Amino acid sequence: MSQAEARKVRYKMGKLERKNTLIAYSFLAPNFIGFAVFTLVPVICAIALSLFEWNGGDISKLKFVGLDNYATIFATKKVAEKGLGYFFDRADLGIALKNTVFYTIVTVPLTIACALILALLLNKIRGAVFFRTVFFFPYVSSMVAICVCWSFMLMKDGPVNQMIMALGINFNRGWTADSTMAIWSIILVSVWRNMGYYMVLYLAALQGIPRELTEAATVDGANKWQQFLHVTLPQLKPTTFFVSVMMVISCFKIYDVVAIMTDGGPGRSTKMLVTYIYDEAFVKVRYGQASAISMVLLVIVLLVTIIQFGSEKKFSND
Amino acid sequence: MKKMLSVLLAAIMMISLLAVPALAEDAKVLTVVTWDATTTPYLVAQKEAFEASHPGVTIEYVDVASQDYAVKTTTMLEGGDTSDVFMVKEIDNLINWQAQGFAAPLKDFDKDYDYSGFKGTEVNYAVDGVQYAIPFRSDFWVLFYNKDLFDAAGVEYPTNDMTWDAYAELAKKLTDKEKGVYGTHYHTWLSAVVNWAVCDGVNTLADKNYDDLLYFYKLYQDLEDAGACMSYADLKASGLHYSAAFANGNIAMLPMGYWYVSTLIGYNKDGTCNFNWGIVAVPHADGVAAGSSFGNLTGAMINEKSEQKELAWEYISWLGGEEGAAATASVGARPAWVSENVATVMSSVEGFPADENSKAALLPSAVAMEWPVAEKVSDIKTIVNEEHSLIMAREVTPEEGIEEMNERVAELFE
Repeated sequence: MSQAEARKVRYKMGKLERKNTLIAYSFLAPNFIGFAVFTLVPVICAIALSLFEWNGGDISKLKFVGLDNYATIFATKKVAEKGLGYFFDRADLGIALKNTVFYTIVTVPLTIACALILALLLNKIRGAVFFRTVFFFPYVSSMVAICVCWSFMLMKDGPVNQMIMALGINFNRGWTADSTMAIWSIILVSVWRNMGYYMVLYLAALQGIPRELTEAATVDGANKWQQFLHVTLPQLKPTTFFVSVMMVISCFKIYDVVAIMTDGGPGRSTKMLVTYIYDEAFVKVRYGQASAISMVLLVIVLLVTIIQFGSEKKFSND
Repeated sequence: MKKMLSVLLAAIMMISLLAVPALAEDAKVLTVVTWDATTTPYLVAQKEAFEASHPGVTIEYVDVASQDYAVKTTTMLEGGDTSDVFMVKEIDNLINWQAQGFAAPLKDFDKDYDYSGFKGTEVNYAVDGVQYAIPFRSDFWVLFYNKDLFDAAGVEYPTNDMTWDAYAELAKKLTDKEKGVYGTHYHTWLSAVVNWAVCDGVNTLADKNYDDLLYFYKLYQDLEDAGACMSYADLKASGLHYSAAFANGNIAMLPMGYWYVSTLIGYNKDGTCNFNWGIVAVPHADGVAAGSSFGNLTGAMINEKSEQKELAWEYISWLGGEEGAAATASVGARPAWVSENVATVMSSVEGFPADENSKAALLPSAVAMEWPVAEKVSDIKTIVNEEHSLIMAREVTPEEGIEEMNERVAELFE
């Protein structure tokens, strides 16, 4: 091939590449435009808005207040005076943070455990398809319907309490009307609803584990438990990583169950970050302050995700 | 061929665009944002009466779910909604809308408007002396009672002059656990349980001191302990609405807003319930005049973005005035405009209890505002309601809860 010919080919390749790139971008465009218009721009606006005082009215009434909104939500004056205990015991943000973190810490492992157990049970048994459907069903049901039904089940004289009473435990409080139990009822409903979805993910992962591995383990004399611990579980690591990242994020964004079942109550016992944001923005029309709280939420979710991805190596198969 | 077709289509579109405004010229449509438009009798009556007296104008209701009304309408307004009139459910909604610049000031229209029939209540809709809405309903709280249950128990009906202690005694007397009869019923709202403290006209819920609520919390807990009313925890979990609870026929008394009268009349008509009922003034504390109550205003404001403010003013001024009041009263709702005739119109509504006490209860001696217009009132509302739910669920004693209210509200103003 002469130099001229080679140049020609290179030129053609370049043209083709450019064309391909353009085509690729054109395929990405619809999604990216949607993301930009409905997510990226609002996020940037929210960052800016958190530095302003605004009641949602005329744009001309935007008032720059610097970090005042953050000072208000962190109750800095009071904290300086009375210590950090004040923030977590009395400030709305502190209480919402505490509740949300507690909810996340309990819900994530519990859901993973339930999903994994279900997946293992349903991996090879007869009639698995039927049961898989049964456990997946809550995930495709309407959230409102689920929450209303559970509210009835968790009433003072409801079926759940009757079962507990039948076990000989004297418990006759309405779950959602009790400030220690209310958050547990939220956790219960969340776990029950989501475990079916994560079960499906685990089932898919279980199917992907090569049979040779378990067979080799059997030959080496490993019992079922040892097989699970040393073969199955390590093989599921990537799935567990994915599931935990997705769940931590969705847990921090918990809103619907709380709004329907307890509305943040009794008192402030189930006040979550997002219900707090909603309250500030749409009930009290303080968009600046609400944006400041959502920035706190953003930072937390970002930090958690960075930490998780940082430890991704530990979760990979190799 | 194809080309001709597209030209034809384009032409049709152009013509139809031109034709619509031409047709709409003489038929004016006024859009009014309100809640429960199909199930609230007075809205139907008002629409009929207004359209009859204003030929060529049609009222079109935009229906918003009642419990989401404040949030949804505020979002609509922020989004630049151009509906002409917004009904005002809570006073502080209007105060917010005014601050946000959504409420059109009425000073250009109301120079010759006669406000006298509102007996001064219209000032709740004024900011710095400028009126922003016209009230058209004024609901105060009364005590509903089930006459059949009183008859069955052989107990005298409640009267218009009764203390809270006498009421509590009566509630216990009427409670019959075997038959599943409750002496009284408290809806879960703060207003249904302790708002009575403001009836003296001195206390308000924004006065930063909540010690005056203690008596009413104790009274409630005493009744709950005696089984004379359903427990708060159950009501909260089941979401049982007071209207269905009382209509069930096993509740002897119910302190509730006057709006429930038109609901009950409707229930009697459609057969949802078929017992006899009556109303009396709410009980009063010692030292407070009999017939004192608290209440709330419902009004209408003009959207700043409305393109037919003149017509909107025509509507809201009619709605609040004598004629609108007659339409509102004709179905059992209580208009804000109080004139000689109003009580007569109200008591002559078909289905309204015929006894003298019920008629007398239509004219309370004093009506305080449920929530006053005050600084940071929406924050105060949140705090008081949060602590209320803890007291009612018996997480804290009334004393502890009230101390917490006092402290947290004080912190707001530091």
